[in-house]
Amino acid sequence: MAAAAADPDSAADQNPNTPNTGTHVPEPWVESDELAEEEYDEEEEELDGPAAAAVEREKVQSVFRRLSSDPVEIRVHDVIIKGNRKTREELIEAEVAELLRAAVTVQDLLRAATIASARLRGLDVFDAVNITLDAGPPELPGTTNVVVEVVEAANPVSGTAGVYSKPEARSWSLEGSLKLKNLAGYGDLWDASVAYGWDQTSELGIGVRLPRFKSISTPLMARASLLSQDWLKFSSYKERLLGLSFGLVSTMHHDLSYNLMWRTLTDPTHGASKSIRRQLGHNFLSALKYTYKIDRRDSHLRPTQGYAFLSTSQVGGLWDNKGLRFFRQEFDVRCAVPFGFYNAALNVGLGAGVILPLGRGFMNSSSPVTDRFNLGGHSSPVCSLGGISSLLGFRTRGVGPTEPRRLVPSASENDSALPGRDYLGGDLAVSAFADLSFDLPLKLFRDAGIHGHAFLTAGNLAKLSENEYKNFSFAEFQRTFRSSAGVGIILPTKLFRVEVNYCYILKQSEHDCGKTGIQFSFSSPL
Amino acid sequence: MAAAATAAAEWQDAERKVLVARKPGFGLPTACPTCLPVLLYLRMSQVPFGIHVDTSFPDADHIPSVEFGDCVAFHNEKGGVIEYLKDENILDLTSKHPSVSYPDVLSTKAMVTTWLADALQYELWVVTDGSIAQDIYFRELSWPIGKILHWKKIRDVKQQLGITKINAAEKEEEIYRKASDAYDALSTRLGDQVYLFGDSPTDVDALFLGHVLFVLNALPTSSLRSHLQKHDNLINFAEHHKVQLLEVDSSLAGSGSSDPSSSSTPRKRASSGRSYKPKPRAKKERTEEEKKFRRRTKYFLATQLVAVLVFLSIMGGVDSSEVDNEYDVDYED
Repeated sequence: MAAAAADPDSAADQNPNTPNTGTHVPEPWVESDELAEEEYDEEEEELDGPAAAAVEREKVQSVFRRLSSDPVEIRVHDVIIKGNRKTREELIEAEVAELLRAAVTVQDLLRAATIASARLRGLDVFDAVNITLDAGPPELPGTTNVVVEVVEAANPVSGTAGVYSKPEARSWSLEGSLKLKNLAGYGDLWDASVAYGWDQTSELGIGVRLPRFKSISTPLMARASLLSQDWLKFSSYKERLLGLSFGLVSTMHHDLSYNLMWRTLTDPTHGASKSIRRQLGHNFLSALKYTYKIDRRDSHLRPTQGYAFLSTSQVGGLWDNKGLRFFRQEFDVRCAVPFGFYNAALNVGLGAGVILPLGRGFMNSSSPVTDRFNLGGHSSPVCSLGGISSLLGFRTRGVGPTEPRRLVPSASENDSALPGRDYLGGDLAVSAFADLSFDLPLKLFRDAGIHGHAFLTAGNLAKLSENEYKNFSFAEFQRTFRSSAGVGIILPTKLFRVEVNYCYILKQSEHDCGKTGIQFSFSSPL
Repeated sequence: MAAAATAAAEWQDAERKVLVARKPGFGLPTACPTCLPVLLYLRMSQVPFGIHVDTSFPDADHIPSVEFGDCVAFHNEKGGVIEYLKDENILDLTSKHPSVSYPDVLSTKAMVTTWLADALQYELWVVTDGSIAQDIYFRELSWPIGKILHWKKIRDVKQQLGITKINAAEKEEEIYRKASDAYDALSTRLGDQVYLFGDSPTDVDALFLGHVLFVLNALPTSSLRSHLQKHDNLINFAEHHKVQLLEVDSSLAGSGSSDPSSSSTPRKRASSGRSYKPKPRAKKERTEEEKKFRRRTKYFLATQLVAVLVFLSIMGGVDSSEVDNEYDVDYED
């Protein structure tokens, strides 16, 4: 093999014993040095110290030169999988075999090995993944055997607890979850989670995720959850949801899911307005939800460049004609433009959404209050892609059509005490924002990631159902647009992302809950 | 006093009073035995009102309720709608009876609202096969929810009446005995008067009438009915007032399917048969349109699905180059 080692061509062909793409994502060229050295060590004649080192270096350099200059032909003969006691071989093969076999040069193979390793680690069921390129059978020159060695998770149970912000939830929550990995060997991930939210939302759920199932190469998910949410303060109802959700297609851009939900709305305070009283009761929602997302911004938390687009469509009423039937569509467009100085960037966004009841006489019927759009809240419009809801300066659900609550004459001692109003949400929502973020002059702040921003937000809601669309006019809609402006500081810490804003309400309508002043907002650091 | 005046003032000022009740059926403007007495009370008081049918909350405690202006009287507040209207001096039929003995009225009311109400609940939820309760409460809900709520209600009624497997027969006998005794007492109290306490109605009349009408129309083959049939004056009382209150004012009610053809039928089988007839016809008319709409919805969804799948399969070849970013993205839970 010494002769082979001396000959760079055949060395590359027969002994491409290059990178061990283990738990790091390596620089292949760097590690090829070390391991090529090891290989040559075993097979060389003993030479004197400095001379041996020089010969080794020369060989490594020649291999390196060879690999970096021309593509070196190679063929993958076999993919050998080792280390899987529980995991099905088909799963691992399905993830990596095709990718590896498709490589025709060593460079391609190295790249494919990196990707394959990343894919397997992405399954989240292995503690370590090693891909080694070994020499192929001697009778077949120019081939290699790829050995995929996996180390299955020693402990299949893992638990986490933390504070998260979920896109579905209106605010964020304290969550604990238990994960069971690879119970059946299909790379299945089972999880049970309990979450308690800031606004008295609580959720209990169990779910399973399969990375692939037979011929379907995208992940499949199923989740059963019990959720209860308290909107008594804003809209006088409490929502309890028992649901089954199936994620059918889930790729980087597309997401299709089917949801079956039993919703119950109650009002234990007996103080709801008439519209809300009409909505109380049991509902069965069977809906298909499709999300298309492109996010080419350079960061989720502080985008300085790029654009993003999100479209969510939901059709409800697939089970039978007694359930909730509606069509809901939402668009969200974002754009970030960098300026040269102080790491400044302008983020601009526009979102619109509409919900329409379906079915006979849909013009007269009302849309479900739980699926309507609401504006308000302190969450930053820059970070949250998905959902029109932010309108800084206004309280959660503090904008839009309202209705007076039930009047209880005997309860109030003071005749002038009003019962308050219920915020009903809107069928049509439009919101926009512009946000200029910039670094603060002090180096201390820059290093900590603390930066400032100035923003302008605007939005409006309108009711279209129950024949209200006849009274709708774009001019009036434009005229009643609420808006606010302000400045603030953002402090990203390990646990939260803290935003301190001073908001000034530029325009609000009667009954809106907007307040000029300082506001705090906490969101997930991820 | 000021507070009570406010509620009464709201009542006076309200343009429209609305009774929120369950759906009509069995020839009655509302088929629910809890809502029917309130409806009859309002009719007896000759108050014009509209009816809003609630179909999505069969296990609600607050229905029936009466809305007037911004105020509402709920069933589960202050002893019920009738009691509320009495307490707030809005509608009090009993006060128009200077001669009637209050203890008499109260004891009769207690008998009707406990013994007879329990017997009716037992008959409706435990004895019958469930189709009647299904028709009244759960027909408008999706099948899984309806089934679960129905089962839950049966369990609750059994718990409330204290019925277990061991004492079932004994309990049944006790319930029917009490009902029979109550019917005897009421028959004696009624005699050949128009109302239970003389010539003008009281709230007990509304409560009892609601019970009797429900038993006669919705529970045609029940033991309760057979106990009731022994007292002709009670049957006549029910029939007479049904004609007076429900048929005459059916145009004011605004409810769709109260069936005039079932008005003057003393025979139990005929009335129940006729009250069922209109349903299948209305269903058939709707089916054609519903079928067409459903077909269209299915085509629309199928087209969307096919478009997504085609797009995915075309984009499938490009995916490997985008894989580097894959593990950055959270797969949505």
